[in-house]
This record gives sequence, C-alpha cells and structure tokens, in this order.
Amino acid sequence: MAEKTITIQATRFDPDKDARPHLQSYEIPFIDESMVVLDALNYIKTHVDGSLSYRWSCRMGICGSCGMMINGQSKLSCSAFLRDYWPKPILVEPLNNFPIIRDLVIDMEDFMHKLKSIKPWIIRKTEIPLGSGEHRQTNAQIDDFRQFSECINCMLCYSACPVYGLNNEFRGPAAIALARRYNHDSRDEGTKERLPVIADAEGVWECSFVGECSVVCPKGVDPAKAIQQSKLDTSLRFVVPFGNRE
Amino acid sequence: MAEESGNTRVYRKTMPPSWWTRKAHYFWYVVREFSALPLAIWLLLLLGEIRSAANGPAGYHPLGGTGFVIFSVIALFFSLYHSYTFLSLSGAIIHFKVIDRQFPSWPIVWAQMIMWAIVSAFIIWALWWFST
Amino acid sequence: MHMFWWFMFAQGGVIAALLLPAHILVQGILGPLGGMPVADRHYETWVSALHNPIVKLYLIVLISVPFFHFAHRLRYLVVDFGVHEAKGMWAQVGFYGTSVAITIVTIWIVWTTAPIDIGALHLLG
Ligand code: SF4
Ligand code: FES
Repeated sequence: MAEKTITIQATRFDPDKDARPHLQSYEIPFIDESMVVLDALNYIKTHVDGSLSYRWSCRMGICGSCGMMINGQSKLSCSAFLRDYWPKPILVEPLNNFPIIRDLVIDMEDFMHKLKSIKPWIIRKTEIPLGSGEHRQTNAQIDDFRQFSECINCMLCYSACPVYGLNNEFRGPAAIALARRYNHDSRDEGTKERLPVIADAEGVWECSFVGECSVVCPKGVDPAKAIQQSKLDTSLRFVVPFGNRE
Repeated sequence: MAEESGNTRVYRKTMPPSWWTRKAHYFWYVVREFSALPLAIWLLLLLGEIRSAANGPAGYHPLGGTGFVIFSVIALFFSLYHSYTFLSLSGAIIHFKVIDRQFPSWPIVWAQMIMWAIVSAFIIWALWWFST
Repeated sequence: MHMFWWFMFAQGGVIAALLLPAHILVQGILGPLGGMPVADRHYETWVSALHNPIVKLYLIVLISVPFFHFAHRLRYLVVDFGVHEAKGMWAQVGFYGTSVAITIVTIWIVWTTAPIDIGALHLLG
C-alpha cells in the first residue's frame, strides 16, 4: 500500500524579496493519526524546506504562540488534527488582521501594547503589608473572574474579529476580557483606572457583538460576553446613580 | 499592501467590504444587524396607518394589499430572528448574584422566551379585543 | 454619550424583540388576509382603540423606542461595510437625530389622531 500523504499549502513571504505573500504546496507523509498541523509544519521544516518560518513552543495548547488560519479558520496549529482535513489539502496562513513579518509569523506588537494598556495587574488604593499574611479569596470570588483569567494570549480572537480587522484602534476581545478579569478580582480596586480605556470609543463601544471571538477562543474565555457585560456595567454606572460603582 | 514598520518590512492585508461572506457566522451576524431596516420600514408604515385614521372614516386606509402582506412576511422573518438573537444574547449578558453566587444564564434566557410568548399572546388578544 | 446611545439601543432592542413579531403577524399578515378580526381593519374600532390613553402610550413606546436600536445597528452596519465616516460626529448626529425626530413625530401623530376625550375621562373619574 502506498504511503498516505497530505498536502499542506502554506503562506510564504520573504520581506526582502517578495512584494506580496504567495502559497507554497508541500506534500508530506501522513503516517500517524494523531498528527496535527504543527507536526506537519515541523516535518516540512526538518525534512523539506528549512526556510519555513512560524512560531510555536508547547505543542499542547498552553503557550498560545502557534495560532494560524487553517482553512480560513482561526486555530491553534498544535490542536488542529490532520485527520479532520484529510484527504483534502490544508491551507495554512498567518493570523488574519495582523501585519505579516515572514511566512506564518505575524507582528504582535499592537496586541502586546493593547494588553498592557488595560493595566493587567492588581491595583490597590493602599497596598496590604506583606506581613499581614495571605489575601484570601473564597471559591465564589474566584469563580467571578476565573473564566476571564484562562486566556493564553493566542490572538485567535483578534484574527477572527472583523471590527479589529476594519479598525486596528479597537482595544479588542482579549484585552477587554483581561480588564474584566482584574475588575472582578476581589483584591483589585482599579476599576476606575481602567474605565477610561474600556469605556472609550475604541474600547467596548467599538464592538458590535459579532461574537466570533468567543467561537474561536480555544480556552472558553468568551471575550464577547466580557465586552457586552462591560457595556452593560458602564451604562448602569451612569443610569443607576449610586449602584454598581465598585 | 506592503509597508515599512520600524526597520522591518511587513505585509498588511486589508479587509475587503465583502468580509461577511467568508463565514456563515459572519453572514448571520449581518442578517441580524440588517433586520433593523425592514423592521424600521414596517413601523413607519404602521405610523402612517395611525396617521390616516385622522382623516375621518372616508379617508382611512388600513394597511393591506399583496405587496404589503409579502413585505410583512419578510419582516416577520427578520423580526423573529431579531427576537431570538436579542433575547438569547441579552439573557447571556445579564448577570447578577443570588446569595454570593453568579446566577446561571439559562434560566434568564428561558424566562425571557416565556415572557416573549406571554406578551405576544396578550398583544394578539388585545388587537382582537379592540375589534369587537 | 456612547453609553447613553448604547443604553437606548438596548432598550429599543428589548421592545422590538418582545412586541414586534405579534404586531407584524396580526396587523401585517392575518388582518389583511382576513384570518382574524383585527382592530385596525375598520375605522371605528381602530379609532376607539386610539382614543384610549394607555393604547396611545403603548404605541408611542412601540414605534419610537426601537428606532434608537435601528439607528445604532444601521450605523454600525455601515461601518462594517467599510465606511469609516459612519463613526464620526456627523453620522451620529444624522442617525441618532433621525430617531429623535421620529420619536417627536410619533408622539405628535399618536397624540393628535383620535385625541383623548378629556371630558370622557372626567366622567370616568
Ligand atoms: S481570549 Fe481566547 S482567543 Fe483571545 S487571546 Fe485569549 S485565549 Fe486566545
Ligand atoms: S504550540 Fe503552544 S499553544 Fe500551540
């Protein structure tokens, strides 16, 4: 029996030579049912074409660095099984909505800047002295923000968001979900400090609730929910004068 | 389009206005948003009907005609789609706590759907009742 | 201002979602086709309904509030189709101003058509 193979069509872009990206096809052996797209790329890099560039690290959906467009869908390439696509060819492109640096590598400068802009750390009015022991939280208090703290910064949500695609100024799904993660942490007192960035025209109000961010999120963060709840809360802050303040 | 950023050259794709045809989910999102247009037109027609009641019995023209009924059927589709998406999505967004616990969203969604059914039945009844 | 328009958008969305399908079904389809007797098919019944202050208030809410929802959605939809200008001040004045204007016109039409009979109210009281 002939060996089973699968075709990978990957985006190639060399900033020093190419005017625009183009596709290159690789036919590689598909020997193991547990192979994922990232394994295929690694095979190409070691056996076929060492110049193919892409990011990866953990191979297990934890580090968030291997996000790509796989047949047009935002996916972690380490979690996309070849068996789900075979025998059709698989189209592997860099994440949508980001500038392409080389091949499948995108520029995440903007994303990093946005994450930082929402002050993703615990803000206290007065620091609790270290000597006073642990700062305890109940399970219910943790449940308040746990979902939003699962984010692995894979940027799949940004690549799926047409609003971000149309306007790069939009703060975007993961950053707003992260803001909510801190705003809802019982130890945090920084909601007001984050408000200007969140309740800005380029913050939650830019979102029109397409909801695709939550569909593609590999960690169930549901950033769309975080954004809509933030809209509701910011509105209520002003409609209900003394409710919902902190 | 290619552009310089810092000292590396990057390639930036632009979103075509047809982006919403790429995925079924995008398409249904646009349908959801577009529902505003037929519903707005339908309400304006209703307002016109109310206005024509000011013309006296001879000048009153209730809404009717094949074109209007066909348009209403289309508007009804958009309207039901709006109700379904709006009530289920807003149900998932409304969040409050009962005794320190986050209240789950499914009872809220169901309560909204049941409320929708009751309110609709009442409207149908009222429109009939006023005809007698 | 954004949060105010969004708040109105949400209110309009609720009103449209809860009330509109029944009206479209009955007044747009069943009534004209003769499937059931409906108040607005005949002048007398419709006017007597319109005399009722509660009906008036209801119709004003039913017609005007959803326009804040529609204005918001259509403005964002225009942005989605790549018209960046629809985000600007003037587009907002245009879209939300239209819904304010429709609200005023609705109040005026509903108020002046089959006006509330103050005398009759007095008798009731
Ligand atoms: S919210 Fe989800 S999709 Fe977005 S970066 Fe975080 S893990 Fe990835
Ligand atoms: S390689 Fe780490 S998430 Fe895929």
